[in-house]
Amino acid sequence: MIVCIAVVGHQNNPLYIQSFTEADDALKLHHIVHCSLDVVDERVNNPKKSGPMLNETFLGLLYPTENYKVYGYLTNTKVKFILVTTDLDVRDADVRNFFRRFHSAYLDAVSNPFHVPGKKITSKTFAERVSNIVKSVSFHTTG
Amino acid sequence: MVREVSESCMDSLLTEIVSSYCNRFYATKPELAARRIEAIGYQVGHQLTERYTIERPRFNDHLEAIKFICKDFWFELFKKQIDNLKTNHRGTFVLQDNKFRWLSRVSVDPSVEISGAAQEPSVMSENKSAQATGLHLYFPCGIIRGALSTLGIPCAVTADISNLPACSFVIRIKV
Repeated sequence: MIVCIAVVGHQNNPLYIQSFTEADDALKLHHIVHCSLDVVDERVNNPKKSGPMLNETFLGLLYPTENYKVYGYLTNTKVKFILVTTDLDVRDADVRNFFRRFHSAYLDAVSNPFHVPGKKITSKTFAERVSNIVKSVSFHTTG
Repeated sequence: MVREVSESCMDSLLTEIVSSYCNRFYATKPELAARRIEAIGYQVGHQLTERYTIERPRFNDHLEAIKFICKDFWFELFKKQIDNLKTNHRGTFVLQDNKFRWLSRVSVDPSVEISGAAQEPSVMSENKSAQATGLHLYFPCGIIRGALSTLGIPCAVTADISNLPACSFVIRIKV
């Protein structure tokens, strides 16, 4: 299950952060997202480690914790997407697919002429679309 | 799905933006009008870049980003690529479009043509028409600046129209 999704601007300013849990652990999830920003920076500035996926938007698994896995995605426009999931057995292809759909939702949100670049995304349509994507995605591996 | 924009509508809109800002909203403060038009272009460039870069890997350096502007970005906007790209390798790039679409229908003041007889007035009207044409270039300058800033390259963009309809954009990257 996806528990948290965040959009972070190029100056590490939060643009959108949303958790999808019943429990009151938003703060913990925000903390995880915050920590992952350093990992993103590290990945981007030392690209040798990532080898063949040089400069790809999808950054892969950033780091696993006991209960969560954190995935990252960095657009060409230096906007980071962070995904926190509780599924520990996830295929990269599924995450990639999720990010692709999320990116196009993000794109439509920021293309709104009333959206101010660099400010938080407040669009309700975007929030709805994101929660639809989150609901429709399940990372369970077959078998 | 391919979405297209009517070119004549775009031309009219640009003309109207320029005339509204320069003759009505900020008639007394032309620098402010220019800044406002540039800001509109900035936002357009920002949003278009966000969209056009969705399927690409990230750029390694400035030159790659500029090449993207020259090729793919320009092609999306004007159905052609930039004709000539020059650089001094120290952060200045000159993008030349030999037939810039938004200027291809700009007419030159007829009095300029009958030059020679009276040197003084023709020079003046030439200046005037160049000035009016220049106002139409704040928008595309803003688009380029918006596109590059979104790609993480802060810069300043100016335009040069010494021989119409060719037009060159000078990009100075801030370090």
